[in-house]
Amino acid sequence: MYGGDDYDPSMNDEDEEITQEDAWAVISAYFEEKGLVRQQLDSFDEFIQNTMQEIVDESDDIIIRPESQHNPGRQSEFLETIYKISFGQIYLSKPMMTESDGETATLFPKAARLRNLTYSAPLYVDVTKQVMKKGHDGEEVTENPETIPKVFIGKVPIMLRSSYCTLYQNSEKDLTELGECPYDQGGYFIINGSEKVLIAQEKMSTNHVYVFKKRQPNKYAYVAEVRSMAENQNRPPSSMFVRMLSRTSSKGGSSGQYVRATLPYIKQEIPIIIVFRALGFVADKDILEHICYDFSDTQMMELLRPSLEEAFVIQNQQVALDYIGKRGSTVGVTRDKRIKYAKEILQKEMLPHVGVGEYCETKKAYYFGYIIHRLLLCALGRRPEDDRDHYGNKRLDLAGPLLGGLFRMLFRKLTRDVKAYAQKCVDNGKDVNLQFAIKAKTITSGLKYSLATGNWGQANAAGTRAGVSQVLNRLTYSSTLSHLRRLNSPIGREGKLAKPRQLHNSHWGMMCPAETPEGQACGLVKNLALMVYITVGSAANPILEFLEEWSTENFEEISPAVIPQATKIFVNGCWVGIHRNPELLVKTLRQLRRQVDVNTEVGVIRDIRLKELRLYTDYGRCSRPLFIVEKQRLLIKKKDIRALQQRESPDDGGWHDLVAKGYIEYVDTEEEETTMISMTINDLVTARLKPEEAYSETYTHCEIHPSLILGVCASIIPFPDHNQGMRHGSYDKLDDDGLAPPGTRVSGEDVIIGKTTPIAQDDTQGQTSRYTRRDHSTSLRHSESGMVDQVLLTTNADGLRFVKVRMRSVRIPQIGDKFSSRHGQKGTVGMTYTQEDMPWTVEGITPDIIVNPHAIPSRMTIGQLIECIMGKVAAHMGKEGDATPFTDVTVDNISKALHKCGYQMRGFETMYNGHTGRKLSAMIFLGPTYYQRLKHMVDDKIHSRGRGPVQILTRQPAEGRSRDGGLRFGEMERDCMIAHGAAHFLKERLFDQSDAYRVHVCQICGLIAIANLKKNSFECRGCKNKTDIVQVHIPYACKLLFQELMAMAIAPRMLTKDIKPVKNKK
Amino acid sequence: MGKRKSKAKPPPKKRLGKLDTVFSCPFCNHGSSVECKIDMKNLIGEAVCRICQESYSTTVNALTEPIDIYSEWIDECERVNTLDDEA
Repeated sequence: MYGGDDYDPSMNDEDEEITQEDAWAVISAYFEEKGLVRQQLDSFDEFIQNTMQEIVDESDDIIIRPESQHNPGRQSEFLETIYKISFGQIYLSKPMMTESDGETATLFPKAARLRNLTYSAPLYVDVTKQVMKKGHDGEEVTENPETIPKVFIGKVPIMLRSSYCTLYQNSEKDLTELGECPYDQGGYFIINGSEKVLIAQEKMSTNHVYVFKKRQPNKYAYVAEVRSMAENQNRPPSSMFVRMLSRTSSKGGSSGQYVRATLPYIKQEIPIIIVFRALGFVADKDILEHICYDFSDTQMMELLRPSLEEAFVIQNQQVALDYIGKRGSTVGVTRDKRIKYAKEILQKEMLPHVGVGEYCETKKAYYFGYIIHRLLLCALGRRPEDDRDHYGNKRLDLAGPLLGGLFRMLFRKLTRDVKAYAQKCVDNGKDVNLQFAIKAKTITSGLKYSLATGNWGQANAAGTRAGVSQVLNRLTYSSTLSHLRRLNSPIGREGKLAKPRQLHNSHWGMMCPAETPEGQACGLVKNLALMVYITVGSAANPILEFLEEWSTENFEEISPAVIPQATKIFVNGCWVGIHRNPELLVKTLRQLRRQVDVNTEVGVIRDIRLKELRLYTDYGRCSRPLFIVEKQRLLIKKKDIRALQQRESPDDGGWHDLVAKGYIEYVDTEEEETTMISMTINDLVTARLKPEEAYSETYTHCEIHPSLILGVCASIIPFPDHNQGMRHGSYDKLDDDGLAPPGTRVSGEDVIIGKTTPIAQDDTQGQTSRYTRRDHSTSLRHSESGMVDQVLLTTNADGLRFVKVRMRSVRIPQIGDKFSSRHGQKGTVGMTYTQEDMPWTVEGITPDIIVNPHAIPSRMTIGQLIECIMGKVAAHMGKEGDATPFTDVTVDNISKALHKCGYQMRGFETMYNGHTGRKLSAMIFLGPTYYQRLKHMVDDKIHSRGRGPVQILTRQPAEGRSRDGGLRFGEMERDCMIAHGAAHFLKERLFDQSDAYRVHVCQICGLIAIANLKKNSFECRGCKNKTDIVQVHIPYACKLLFQELMAMAIAPRMLTKDIKPVKNKK
Repeated sequence: MGKRKSKAKPPPKKRLGKLDTVFSCPFCNHGSSVECKIDMKNLIGEAVCRICQESYSTTVNALTEPIDIYSEWIDECERVNTLDDEA
C-alpha cells in the first residue's frame, strides 16, 4: 500500500519476475492449504497411518509351550502342543462412543466436550492363532491357522481435524451445524471433556558424532560422543564416548595423549586400538587405515602414536576381547565366557545404529574409526568443536512420535498379558480364548492416563516426563494457536547455563525470536515460526537404493586408501559408503527432490570441507520452504502468481503445485548451512544489475518473506482476531426441573442447579430425623453475575446424568481492568469518564483511551506510535496497512499519506477540554490503536468478607476468593497494632471476637477435663477429681495445638495457680 | 514455620561402577579377601587371599590391573581342574 511497486499491466512477458508483494499470494496459498497447526496434524496422521501398524508388525509372535504338567492317569495323545499367536492388519474406526445401554454411535467433538467423554476411536486387529502338535513318534501336526478378524484391542484418542476425525474436510457450514467453530484449527485431543495439547519435546539428534573441547584443567582434552539408536528401537540410546587425555594430567599419571573409548556395560575406558583388535583388525596398518585414511598425514599419525604404544601388549583378537570381557560385569568366569561376553557387547550394544547382526565388524570399525578421525581433526585444530545448540542437531518429538512411543510400550504390555493368560490356559489344559486374553483396557486407559495427566509413560514408573500434555489455552484465539505450536526443551529450569536459552543463529525462520515466556522457562519454551515444517520421517530405503544405483561404493568394495579422495556418504548418521563424484550425485538428488521423485522432506547436505554427503530422512527435523534461485533469478515467475490468484477453486494448483513444479523447496536447519539465501527479491535484482553493490552473487535460495521468521503471536499477519466469549455463570429462580433456564439473569449466590439428596434413615434411636433430604444445590459464586447462556443435560460414559450450566456476562471496562496494546504497553484503567467529559477534536471525535505519554520514552515502543498513524491512514482510506517487519514502509511514507488525507502529518490534532470547551494548549497525538483485553479484570478479583466460612479443623477463616475466604491479618499487621500501643484492641479482635474458646482444666494434673455443661458436672477421670476444676479461656488454635501435642504423647499442662517461688535458702 | 515438602528429588544417576580391586577367593570362597599386588619394577603381579593365604603370581605389563591377575588365576584353576578330571 505504501511504497509497493505497482506493476505495469502492459508488461506480460513470460519471464516477468515477481515482486515482494507477489510473495503474499504464495504465503496465502500456503496457509490456505496448511492452516496453522499442520505440524500437529501431519505428525498424528503419520502415527495413525503408518507407525501404529509398524509397531504391531514388529512385535514378535507369541509362542506358548506348555509347562510340563503331571496329570495322573491321563496320557495325552500328543507330546507337546504349541500355540502361536500373531497380530496382523489393524483397523481404526471413526471416533465412537458406547452408551451405558450398549448403543454405539459416532461421537462428535462437541458431544465429547460437553459430556466429559474422550474423543477416541476403537482399534481392531486381525489375530491369527495356530496350533502345532508334536506326536510321541516325532511327527508334527500343524492345524490350519485360525484368523479371528478385527479383535478390539483398545481405543485411541483422535486428534481433532486429523484424517480420522469426524470433522476431517468438513465445510464451514457443516462445521457450524456440528457446533464447531469454523476457525478452530484442531490439532488437540479431547480427554474426559477437556482439551489437551501435546507440547513438542526437543531432544538432541541421535546417531551423530559431536566433538567437544574440554575446558582445562581436566583429565581429558577432547571428547567425541555419539548417542546411537537403532531405528524402531524402544530403548534408550546407547552412548559411546571417545576421549583423548590431556597432555599432562594433574596427577602426573599418563604421559601421552592416549585415546580411549567407553563401551556400554564395560566399567573402564578401553584403549581404542584394543577395540579395533577386538573387532578383528589386528595389524597397526589396518587400524590406522580406518582412522587416518591418509598415511601421508604425519600430524594425525603422530597423534595416534601414544595409543598404538599403549596397546602394544595386546596383539591379537582373543586377548583384546578378553581384555574387554574382564572389565565387564562378569567377574570370576572363565576366559571363554569372557570372550563371548565381549563379542556380544561389541555386536549388540556398541553403536547399534550401525548394525546389531553378525558380520557388522567392518562397518563398525569404519564408523568407530570415523569417530576417532573427527576427534583428531578437532584436536589438530582443523575443525572447530561442535555446537550443541545448533538447531540442526536438534529433533522435535511431536504428537506422533510421542504417542508412538507410548503405544509401543502399551502394545508390548498387552502382548505380555496375552502371553501370560494363554500360558495359564495352556498349562491348565484349556483352550485359549483370545477375546478374553486381549485386555483392551491396557491401551485405552494407558493412552488416556498420559494424555489426561501429562505424565508421559507408565503411572508410577521411573523416567516419566511431566507436562507433556497440557490443557489447551482458550484465553484468546491467538493464545490457542500459539499453544498448539509450542515446544519445550526438557532441561532443568534451575540450570545456570545461559547457552541453551539464548537465541541461536540457526533458529532463523524456525523458532520465533520473540515469543518465549519470561522467567525460569525463558528460552527453553519456544514457539514455531509461521512457515516451519517438522518432518514426519520417511523410509531410508528409497535413498539407499538410489545411492546404490548411482554407484556408491560400500565397504566391501573399497580399500581404505581411496577414502581420502572420495566423499563419505551418510544416511541418517550411518556411514553407508563412498562416492567419487559427489557434485553430480548431489545435483541429481536435489533435482529428484524438486521433482518430488524423492520425498521433499529429505535433507541433502554436502559438506565440502569434511568431504561428506549427509542425507536425512528421519522425523523431527525443522525445515522451511524457500524460493529456489538459479542464475540470480527466481524460478517462480509472475505468470505462476497470476495463475495462483486466478484459480477457481482452492483445490487446483495451490501450494503443493508450486512445490511439485520445483519453484519452492523445503530446506532443513542443517542443509540451510550449505545454501546462500537472499533476504528479499530485491537483493536478487541488485545481484543481477549491480553486482559490485550486491552482498553475494551466488544465491541459491530466496526468503519467501522475511517476516515469516516470526511466530503466530509475534507476527501481525492479518488474521481475524476472534476473542472467545467467557464462560461464567448462573442464577437462582429455578424452573420446574430445578435448573435455571437460559436467559435468566442471575447474580450473587443464586441457586442455578437445585439438587437434594436423600438422607439415609437408619437412625438407631428409632426417632426419624426431621429432614429426609439434604440440599446439595450449586449456587453461583457470590461475586459473579450474568445470564444463563446454555443448559446441558446429558449422561457421561457411565450413563450417569449430569448438568452443565454455561454463563455469560457482559463486561464494560471499568476502573482497574487491564488492557494492552500489541506492543506490550499494558496498564489498568485509572478513571472512566462519560463521553461528554472527554476531550474532543474538531471533527467531534473523542478518544476511547487516553495514554499517559510517559509510557513511551523509557519503553521505546515506537511501533505503537507507527501503528497509530498507520491506523489513522488505513481508516481514512478504507484499506489495510502493511505492518509486517522488513518492508520498505517508513514513517515518512505514512505521514505523507496521512497528510494527503487532510490531517497533520504526524498525527497530532487540536483538542478541546471536555469540561470547559477550552482549546488545549498542546496538540494531542490521536489515532486508532488495537487494544486487547487482558484476563485480569476487577470483577474477577474484587473480594471482601466480614464473616464467612471457616475451616473445620482449625476454625480459621478459609483462604481465597473462591471460598469467600478471609483477608489475613498477619504478623506485620499485628506488629503495627503493638507499635500503636493498641494491645487491648489486638486482643479483642484476634481473640475475643474471633478465636475464643473455653476449656475446663483439672487443677491437679493441669490437663483438659470432661465438662458436661448441661448437667453442670465436671470430671478429671485420671485424677478422680470432680471438684477442683477451673474454666480457662484460650484461643481455639491453642486448644488444637494442645490436643495435637497430647496425640504425640506430650502433656501440655495448664497450671492456673501461682507456682510458689522457691525460697532462697539463705 | 514448617517448610513445605519440596518435590521429590529425582533419583541420583547411576554412575558406571569402578573396576573391582578385591575379589572372592577361588579356594576359601571368602567374598573379598583376594587383593592384588603389582610390581612394575620386576613386572610381577601377585594375587593373595588374606584368609587362606593362597596365592598366584604371574607376569604383568603396563595395562595389567588387579582384575587381569585375578582372571588369570581363575583360568589357571580351571585348567588344573580339567586336568585332574581327565587324569
